[in-house]
Amino acid sequence: MSSAAIEVRGLRKSYGEVEAVRGIDFEVAAGEVFALLGPNGAGKTTTVEILEGIRQRTSGDVRVLGFDPDRQKMQLKDRIGVCLQSTNFPDKMRVREALDLFGSFYSQTRGTAALLGRLQLEEKRDAFYGTLSGGQKQRLAIALALVNNPALLFLDEPTSGLDPQVRLEIHALIAQLRAEGCTILLTTHYIEEAERLCDRVAIIDEGRIVALGTPRELQKAGEAESSVTILCDQTLIGRNLPAWPGATKTELSDDGRRLTAHSAHPARTLAGMLNWLEVSRIGLEDVRLSRPTLEDVFIAMTGKRLRE
Amino acid sequence: MKAYLSLIRIDLKLAFRQKVVIFFNLLMPLALFMIFAEINRTERSGGIGDVVTMVSVIGILGTGLFGAGMRAAQEREANVLRRYKVAPITPLPLLVASMVTGLAVYMPFVVLMLTVAHVRYGMNVPSNLVSVLVFIALGVTAIRSIGLIVGAVVNSTQESGILVQVLYMSMLFLSGATFPTQMFPAWLLKVSRFVPAAYIVNGLQSILLRHETLWTNWPGAAALLLTTAVGLLLSVKLFRWEKEEKLRPAAKLWLLAVLLPFALPGLWHLYTGA
Ligand SMILES: Nc1ncnc2c1ncn2[C@@H]1O[C@H](COP(=O)(O)OP(=O)(O)OP(=O)(O)O)[C@@H](O)[C@H]1O
Ligand SMILES: [Mg+2]
Repeated sequence: MSSAAIEVRGLRKSYGEVEAVRGIDFEVAAGEVFALLGPNGAGKTTTVEILEGIRQRTSGDVRVLGFDPDRQKMQLKDRIGVCLQSTNFPDKMRVREALDLFGSFYSQTRGTAALLGRLQLEEKRDAFYGTLSGGQKQRLAIALALVNNPALLFLDEPTSGLDPQVRLEIHALIAQLRAEGCTILLTTHYIEEAERLCDRVAIIDEGRIVALGTPRELQKAGEAESSVTILCDQTLIGRNLPAWPGATKTELSDDGRRLTAHSAHPARTLAGMLNWLEVSRIGLEDVRLSRPTLEDVFIAMTGKRLRE
Repeated sequence: MKAYLSLIRIDLKLAFRQKVVIFFNLLMPLALFMIFAEINRTERSGGIGDVVTMVSVIGILGTGLFGAGMRAAQEREANVLRRYKVAPITPLPLLVASMVTGLAVYMPFVVLMLTVAHVRYGMNVPSNLVSVLVFIALGVTAIRSIGLIVGAVVNSTQESGILVQVLYMSMLFLSGATFPTQMFPAWLLKVSRFVPAAYIVNGLQSILLRHETLWTNWPGAAALLLTTAVGLLLSVKLFRWEKEEKLRPAAKLWLLAVLLPFALPGLWHLYTGA
């Protein structure tokens, strides 16, 4: 077998009539941060929970750290860290107690004190779970996922429903773990999360992977173009505009001062525009170049918008 | 082994942090005991030993069925058990911890009740105190293991509440704890042979009132031990970590075996004609 941390071939899962996962394939290499990006009900949770050994697959081949999650549950669970999309703890359990308790289940542990520090939960160490804020609960959930110093970490929507500040903290933590060489599989609906944090992204929709690659590759493959926008000091209405090099489509704002050109070769297009402005003696007030985002790719691939 | 110890420790802490647990396992049975003991004293209707037996059984059924039966359903419903599912543990340490906690919250009450019975109501200190305590402890584990099965098979806290009530009421009645079995018709008496709680009542009556020991009551003690073992085994087999898990067909067959701890001692009794 290869050194992939996760290998998935032809994975399918049905809940009665509902086909949640309809034959997906992907690999996650050791040390890689991989995202499953998709809208509600796409099959993300179903997929990761099969890999974690807590749901049974209907068919397909799955290897996680070399184990079959259906057959070698205990060995697998001992080596992975999991942050579930929906869990809870008893209200009267203290933060420190939860970490000690879960630490005792594994053959190796990282130590409660270190985790409290890392997740900024020190002041809350003696607080009851029921008194924690949403962000603190989520930090505890992540701390618990790290309790066994896992070789592979699963984070199912680690930042959903959290305020932007907490989300940024969790992003920083994931970046840190990535730098330490931890393999991470995360699911998200947030495009920028996938774009910013991940080495590779699989876009999943209705139980199928519709695109897979690095964020850059996906941007290219999505056939979505860059756009160049210039803001001029006077209106361009009534002027005879040339065909811009490389541009496929142009738009002019109502007041005629803002010109946008879509182009597969934005640098060439921009150079052409600047040249023409110079020759025509038109002043330039602002320039903007936008590259296509994963959002554009997502819309191009699925015809849907992700919720924000 | 570490998992067993830490689960027992946290389970005990959680139990003692909850006011309802203290209320139902200590205050309420104690109040019940005082009321019945006072009535008993003014009416001179029987020995204080009868009151101790009755209140013990009421308490054992309460702590076993409500304590164990409702808790698992609640924790499953609240997605608490799911988190344990991703850890490398089996259900057994969770269930054992629940069993130990049941004993730890209930046995102090028993000691307190015996003390009050002695100091205030003049009951002799049982010469076979160890037998009394061990027998009650066996009663707790037996009923609690039935509670654990209930917790495993129900789909919601609500369902669990209903099933627990039904079991509680019928076992209380059939055990003869509140209503003397001498007044049962013959067929009902036979039915009561199949109820574990009846063994607790009979055993306690012999040990407490007739000063017998655990050894002379070994069939009753064995029946309770068997109930505990089979109940625990079944609750491991039937255990569900999350509400989406349906009872598997194989598990339903196991469920038939629930009847076993009830049936075996009952059949044995019918057979030997005891
Ligand atoms: N236990 C279950 N029983 C029946 N159907 C289920 C179950 N779990 C999930 N499904 C269905 O399977 C599909 C995929 O669900 P899943 O939870 O995997 O999606 P998801 O991508 O994680 O969505 P979200 O972003 O909302 O978390 C959905 O249609 C869902 O209704
Ligand atoms: Mg999900």
